[in-house]
This record gives sequence, structure tokens and C-alpha cells, in this order.
Amino acid sequence: MLVFCSTWPALAQIRQNAFTIADDQMVLYLDLKLKKTDIDSLLRIADIKGVTVDNLLRGNFSLLQKDGWTINRMADNRLMLMKPLNELAANPQMRPFLITSNMVMHNKQPGYPDEDVKFGINNFLRQNVHELSSGVTRFFLPANLKAKRVLLSGNFNSWSTSKGVMLKTDSGWIYDIKLDAGEYLYKFVVNGRWINDGGNLLKEDDGFEDHNSVYFKYNYTFRLNAFPKAARVMLAGSFNSWNPNQIVMMPAGAGVWTRSMYLHEGSHAYRFLVDGKWNKDPANPNTQTDAAGNINSVLNIGEPLVFKLNGFANAKNVIVSGSFNKWRTGELHLYRSGNQWILPYALPAGNYGYKFIVDGRWMTDPDNQSYIDQDGQTNSFLAVKPNHTFILKGYDRAKNVRLSGTFNDWNEPGWTMAHHGDTWSISIYLIPGKTIYKFIVDGNWIIDPGNKLWEQNQFNTGNSVFWMER
Amino acid sequence: MLRIYCLLFLLFTALGTKAVGNKHKHMHPKPGTISFPGAHYSDPEPSGEFATLVIPIKRVSNLIILEAKVDTVEGNFVLDTGAPYLVLNQTYFRDAPHYDDQEAGGINGSAGAAFRTNVRNLDIADLHYDRLLADVTDLSAIENSRNIKVLGLLGTKLFSKFAITVDLFQNQLYIHKLDKNGEIPAAEELYHEPILKMPFYYANNAILFKAWVNDIPLWFAFDTGAETNLVDYRQAKKLMPTLQIINRSKLTGIGGSTFEVVYAKFDKLMVGERVFTNNKVIITSLEQMGKAYGRDIDGMLGADFFGRAVFTINFVKREFVMYTNKTE
Repeated sequence: MLVFCSTWPALAQIRQNAFTIADDQMVLYLDLKLKKTDIDSLLRIADIKGVTVDNLLRGNFSLLQKDGWTINRMADNRLMLMKPLNELAANPQMRPFLITSNMVMHNKQPGYPDEDVKFGINNFLRQNVHELSSGVTRFFLPANLKAKRVLLSGNFNSWSTSKGVMLKTDSGWIYDIKLDAGEYLYKFVVNGRWINDGGNLLKEDDGFEDHNSVYFKYNYTFRLNAFPKAARVMLAGSFNSWNPNQIVMMPAGAGVWTRSMYLHEGSHAYRFLVDGKWNKDPANPNTQTDAAGNINSVLNIGEPLVFKLNGFANAKNVIVSGSFNKWRTGELHLYRSGNQWILPYALPAGNYGYKFIVDGRWMTDPDNQSYIDQDGQTNSFLAVKPNHTFILKGYDRAKNVRLSGTFNDWNEPGWTMAHHGDTWSISIYLIPGKTIYKFIVDGNWIIDPGNKLWEQNQFNTGNSVFWMER
Repeated sequence: MLRIYCLLFLLFTALGTKAVGNKHKHMHPKPGTISFPGAHYSDPEPSGEFATLVIPIKRVSNLIILEAKVDTVEGNFVLDTGAPYLVLNQTYFRDAPHYDDQEAGGINGSAGAAFRTNVRNLDIADLHYDRLLADVTDLSAIENSRNIKVLGLLGTKLFSKFAITVDLFQNQLYIHKLDKNGEIPAAEELYHEPILKMPFYYANNAILFKAWVNDIPLWFAFDTGAETNLVDYRQAKKLMPTLQIINRSKLTGIGGSTFEVVYAKFDKLMVGERVFTNNKVIITSLEQMGKAYGRDIDGMLGADFFGRAVFTINFVKREFVMYTNKTE
């Protein structure tokens, strides 16, 4: 009911019942003496598009009439617009079981945390989730020893209520799972009933009168090996919006301060606040000066990648710019190393376009055969942590084969696939959830012949379907 | 002996259903043969060792999702009282064998099921069904608007021998085995002090009852697959001026087609003897739905209604009950 919420406040300011039903007509009363913005709100309430307030004030009703509205002028500079109610009869909803409101496909799956969480620190009253030395995460549900069946359900197993069967021990139930660093939501199911982890103080509203427990699997430990006599050391950075009151560094003895956490992949700037004074990390040679002139320490999380450009020995300035940094041109400078220009970097998983700028001239990466068209430009293509490879066998005579789908908004030229032997392929990163896609072979859109899952589309040509599990 | 019983059983069920027999009305059996004009395939009884089945449900927007297994495929299904029986998503069951049934039109009409199939097993937790007819149709609209994988819908006929209770506050579904009087055994009763108790009509696998919108009686279908309440535009005239119109908007239907609806509010919805206030409804055309149900309906009650309390549908006694809850 998103439409409800967004229009209700506007209506409250204007006379109620401006839009109503009388006899067999929908009626909209417009007082042309109202403010333009108010008249506009009324037009939106009646879902009248393309008609401006100026049109109405000038008496230009042609668009309205074309749309089926009858206009009556009333006294005192008011209009009464009418449209027969039976336009509602053009209703293709024929089956009672498909009554969904108008919602666009989400990129996120329901019951999954926001992908944009930058960092996380756990908060347990009683810790029931532990990391074993083997690298496996163990979830524990204490007691409940008389239960017949206990399951662990969470966003790591698509909230399954049938898998995740826990093993009974003498003090409770356990479930071991290998997880990547990240934010996880979970609950237990005991004899068919949902149970929260009572020992976990970190909760997230599930949107349905209840909450899910939150667990972060850590991937980084901040260590400050200095200031042994300090009373209080805080950590702040770009990942927590530089809040100096949020993250406390813990004394670990022998003048060492630490804090372990989950830190989202990418590049992060940070500093320590030691008894009220800001300090960069003495052990970290990577620094960055921000707009205010502060020197921050920088760390890169995630799979390291290196931007490399061979040759151009006489160039003075080589910069890399891409969709990952909003195409800023003064930020990422490569430096000379041997006969290459390089820049080690880290990016969160995703699909990006980029280019080099060599002494002011834009160019694609000469060593990269993959391209992506964005906003009319052809850029070099980079997939970080690709998790799926699309393959098309055959079509040896095709000149180019491209991929397009929901992950790139059905981008028209599509993303180029590389030809090796008898297959065309491309590896990209897909967010968890549903992906629909097609191949474009020399301009012809086809469904994936190697995928038996497909669904019908509005052109009656079908779309291939793929579900990316977490 | 058993064989005769089965054949007689088939005959009686055939006589008890509506449109089925028509096709064969004029058949003349050859002398010396036994024929059962009007007999049709009847789904076998479900089985399971339980008194009350407790099933965790998941919520996606206003849809009620539970996991079940069809043959070897396990996944999410929508609990949908607007669906007649098991309906499967064509994307995942495209290759299912076609069941040759002359009246595959059934509830779905021209733009309905792609085809009918025969399923060997359906398992909902400990509840087991052996051999079921199912419709296979395009459910991609649900997947695409909710980003959740949906294998199918569980419709009313699956529960025709039980009572089901839906508690959306604890996110639980209960399937109750009934005693010989069609009641939930006293020892198994989970909820008490109903706020409303009312009989309903169960016709063509649909749950229908009369309710009063601002004191005006209308016939409603009860649809747990409907995320909003609906009312037919031809009733709008009758209901004005007690309806408060909010706005007009476009909804997207199957295959990307769009159509206009009008959102409205009304103050008083009376179901059974209970009054519910602050009701939202979409004014649209229910003509095609009427065809699906085999009768004209004035409206449909969806999540805006049933989300307010715990409810039980007893398919044997044909009774709809709601229980007190902290909200409303």
C-alpha cells in the first residue's frame, strides 16, 4: 500500500472528498484558486498524468478529454472532472489467487539484511553462536531437550523450515555451518514453532510483529599497539559515519588495544580517538588526506585487486575511474612500478565499469576483453567476486554474443561474452535472489537453451530464470 | 467388496459436485456394461500421524508462505484460499505430464491454467497426499513482485477434511484433525474466547459469506492470497457516500499489463456479529473473478481483514472463527 502512504498527507491539507464517486462516475473537484502545488496533488490523487496546472488555468483540456474525462466549469473558478466508473472494468485480474498490489521487483530478498551494512559488532547476553577453530560457525539452542525436532532457519538457508536440522547434545541443540564474513539473521524452529535466540541482544524487526536475531561473522580486528597509559580509546571511520562515541577499543594487555568486527568489503578510512585526541594508526602506512585536511588511515577489506596498465612510460598521470567511485577523475592515481602503472585496491562484490585516464585521455583497459556499455559509453568490465558464469554453447559463427537481464536493468547492447573453444561465457556477480536474463546473439534475443527454467514475458518470447542462493 | 465400495464412492461424489456430470448426461451405455456417467477422478484421502500439525509460516508482504514438497521438489507455497486446490508454478513444472481431462477449463476459464497434471506426492510437514490433480499455471507475477521463489499455491480443497488455524502474530499455521462431529477435539483446542463465529458457504472450492459494509450487505469471497480487500465497482454506487475515496492508481497485472483501480476507506465492516473499523479496499472489477468462482461476488476479503486476528476455517463444519488478539 505504498501509494496510500505517500498521498495521504497531501490530501489532509486540501479539502477532503475532492476526489469521489457519484452515480457511475469518478468525480474530481478542482478549485483553480488553490495553490499550484495543491492542484497538482489533486491531479495525482486522481492519477491524471501529463496535464499541468497551467493547462487547466488556460482552459486547455484536450489531453484530459482524450483520456476520457468530461470537464464541467462551475461557479467561482472551479472545475468538475468526470470519468465513467466502468473504466475499472478493464481488469485482467482473472484469477482470485493473483491479487497483488503494485510493487516493483525488489533487489533485496524479504527477510534479508540491507546489503549496505558497513560494519557490525555482536552483542550477546549469553553467547549462543560461536566460531570454532575449524572456521565453522556453531549455533546453539540451550535446553529444549524434550523437543522432537529443532531447526535453525536464517537468511543463510533461505529461511528454510525443513533444512537446518539441529543435532541434539546433552545440553541443547547444535548446528554447524560454514559462513563467509557478513551479517546473518536467524531464528530457531522448535516442534514447528518459531523461537528467538534469547541470549542475543542484537535484533532486527522482521516487519511482522516479531524480530529476528542478528549475528555478525567477523573478518577484521583493529589493533592499536600504542598509548598503553590511555584511559579510553575509541575507533571511528567512514564505516560508522565517523561517530566518535560508538566503538570502544578494548584493552588487551601489554599496551595493546583491539576491536574485532565485521567490516564490509571495500576501502575504509579510520582514526583512533585517544583520550580525546585524534590519531592515525601508527602501524598502517596507508593514509589519505580528506577534504578538511585530516590525515586518515586507510584499509582495504576484501579480495585485493590491482589495476594495472602496461607501458605508457612517458605518461605523467594515470588515473583509474569507474562506476565504483562515481567516475570521479581526481581520486585514484596509479603509481609507476617497473614497466607498469599499478594501484592495489579493494571493492565489494559487484559488477563495475571502469576506464583509465592517461594524461587526460580516457581509454579502456587494453588488457581486458570484456566491455560494458553504460550511459552510451563503452567501458571496461570488471566483476568482483563473480559467483555465476553464464554459458552459451555453440553459435560459433556469431559475431558477438551478449548478456542482459535484471542485474543490469536489461541494458540494451548487453554485456559482452567471451568466446573460448565452442562456448561463449561471462562470469558476473549476482545478488542473492531471482535473476531473469537472456542472451543477445548478433542482435537476436534468445532464452538460455541450457536452462530449463523460464517464464513468459510481455513479448511472448520468454525469459530465462535463475535463483542465486546465498 | 472393497472395489464396489470404491466405485460407489466415486458415484456419490460425482453426484455431489456441480458441473461435472453435464458432459456425460446424454451418454447411452451399451447393454451389459457398467458405466458411471458423471463419475470423475476424486482425490484420495490425505494421511498423517498427528492430532494437530504445527507448521511455521513465513511472511512476504501479506502473503502466507509455508514449505511443502511436491514429488521430489521442495520449496515455498502460498497458503491461498482463493485457489481451488494445488496450483503449481509453470516455471518449475513445465515438463510435468499432462493429465488428459476434457474439462481442464474448470475454475480458470480461458486465461487460466496452462494445463493439468497429476502429482504423485504432496507433503506438508507430516500431512501426506497420494496422487493429486493439480493445475500448472504462470505464477511468475508473485515471484517478480516479491522476489521469493514460489513453487505453487495450496488451495482450499487440500484442507477439506480439516480445520486450519492461522496465527499471523506468532507466524504459525495449525492443521487440525477433527472428531466425528467435525469439531476440533477439546484437548487440542489452542485458542479460546472467539470474537466471531460464523457459518460460510463452500461452493466451487471457494469460501463465501455475507458481510456488511457500512450496513450494506455484500457477498464476499475469503481469500488469503489477496493482499488487499476488493469490492466490485458496480457496488460502489450503492456504497457511496459512506465510502471515502482516497485515490486512483494503476496496478500491474500478469504479463506487465496495467489497469486502473480506486483506493477507498470505509468505517464499518461487520462480519458475523463483529464490527471492524478502519477498513481499506480497492474498487475494481470482479466480473472475471465471478466467472472463476461460478457465481457473482461483490467483494473479496483479504489481508486487511484477516490480518487483524487469529482465524480458524473449519471446512467440515463450514465455520469461520476469529479469536481475540492484542490488536483490535
